[in-house]
Amino acid sequence: MNTIGCNEFLNQLGDWMEGKRSADARAHLSLCGECRALVADLEAIHDSAPALAFDDPEPSPRIWLAVRAQLEREGLIHTHPDRQPVASRASAHWFDVIFAAVPRPVIAGAYLAALVATGAALTGLGSARVNNARWLSRTEDATQPLSAQLDTAEEDTFSTLKHADPAVTASLQKNLAIVDNYIALCEKSVREDPQDEAARDYLYGAYQQKADLLAQMSDRGDDGQ
Amino acid sequence: MRTQAIQPASLHQWKKAGLLVPGLLILGVASASAGDRLTQHFRVDPHPVVAIHNPSGTVTVRAWTKSEVMVVSDRSTPSVEVDASQTGNRVDILTRQVSDTAAPGDLRTDLEISVPQDAELEIHDDAGGVNVSDVLGDMNVETIAAGVDLEDAAGYLNVKTVDGSFQCVHCSGRIEVSSISGNFRFIDIHSPYVRAQTSTGNISFNGEFLPNATYRLKNYSGVIEVRFSPGDSFDLSASSIRGKVHNEARLDPPSHHHFLPRLGSALFGTLNSGRASVELSSFDGTINILKRD
Repeated sequence: MNTIGCNEFLNQLGDWMEGKRSADARAHLSLCGECRALVADLEAIHDSAPALAFDDPEPSPRIWLAVRAQLEREGLIHTHPDRQPVASRASAHWFDVIFAAVPRPVIAGAYLAALVATGAALTGLGSARVNNARWLSRTEDATQPLSAQLDTAEEDTFSTLKHADPAVTASLQKNLAIVDNYIALCEKSVREDPQDEAARDYLYGAYQQKADLLAQMSDRGDDGQ
Repeated sequence: MRTQAIQPASLHQWKKAGLLVPGLLILGVASASAGDRLTQHFRVDPHPVVAIHNPSGTVTVRAWTKSEVMVVSDRSTPSVEVDASQTGNRVDILTRQVSDTAAPGDLRTDLEISVPQDAELEIHDDAGGVNVSDVLGDMNVETIAAGVDLEDAAGYLNVKTVDGSFQCVHCSGRIEVSSISGNFRFIDIHSPYVRAQTSTGNISFNGEFLPNATYRLKNYSGVIEVRFSPGDSFDLSASSIRGKVHNEARLDPPSHHHFLPRLGSALFGTLNSGRASVELSSFDGTINILKRD
């Protein structure tokens, strides 16, 4: 029996996830184990999506606690006995809290890892349902607080580099400009096509590079050399 | 544990600008105006850890057959001192500034270090260069502008530069390297895992594709070049969001589907039985998959 191929099925995936299932798509799925596995994954994500508090600008405490546990396992943050539970600090943005817990901006990498994972999951789920404006809005919601934090960290870092080797400082500044340029390029790409997962991935990667670089600069400043 | 630090007093050998006349050695210490060389030895057990922190200058590490770490330091001026110390099976070598008025050029210190082949290395060198050969232990190298050249390394290699280049020749361990503007060259590699990411740098890979191995090369711009032989076996994924992919390999169509980038260029396929995994990705750079000469 002739059915559609994988590519064509993928083109109908959005409709499939919305319950619009053509006979061809059903036939293809019955024969293709890989597409079946993909659909099963997407349905699993779909089933758990309500727990992600998707329409809530603040992540649920459960998500934060999972991220926090992962960060602690990796030794990136430590619980301070005199620090109240982060999840209870409703007034602060959760990203601010991460930075408060760990002075090094490299922690942004961990934040981004979580962000990318969430982003990837949401891409699979909503590509057919969510319009570009919503995707752009969510990407900006995710990156704007990070961008602001990195700008602040950048100002603080430069003030500590006064005593560093000028050649090293120049190299760091040159490369910071390179990373900033890539952030701008990636943001442009994401604005042009907010649903382009690869472009978003590169954008998050560029932010992570900036965080790593600022951490290195901060270390050099702390060394006082 | 029978670890003994051979202490400096008897073994320090100061030399002044290459002169070996004993009578001048003391003058070398006293005047210490330029070209001071200091040699220190530390006896170690198997698998020692050698940590080197040298903000400016060349760090050269070679393996030898002795159960000993030898540090030969050459400082450009007395504005900087080299502290080498041993704690258990760990040797720390730290170059530090001792004069507040020193110019950046005064801080340059070159280090030549001999270590047992199974030593584990931690190296920080902001500017200058790092050269390591024949060391089989794990390595963690971090630089700003200093280039990193490794040869015949076999441990887990983790290298991070800002704009320093990276070259690895005859390396066989797991390799992870990242940079912002550094170029990478992998030559005659026999590694089961390579992950390399640079922003504006070029990446050149010429090595063996081992069964079940993974090779992930990524940049934002620049050129990624991978060389292959017709008998190589790998599953290839190559995509450039805004750039081009050029391929000379005769690939079989992929056995599973891939999401294609909306713009740019992408290529997926299998060479022979696809035993290794090769993932090449770029934002707006060029990817070349070329036949080995």
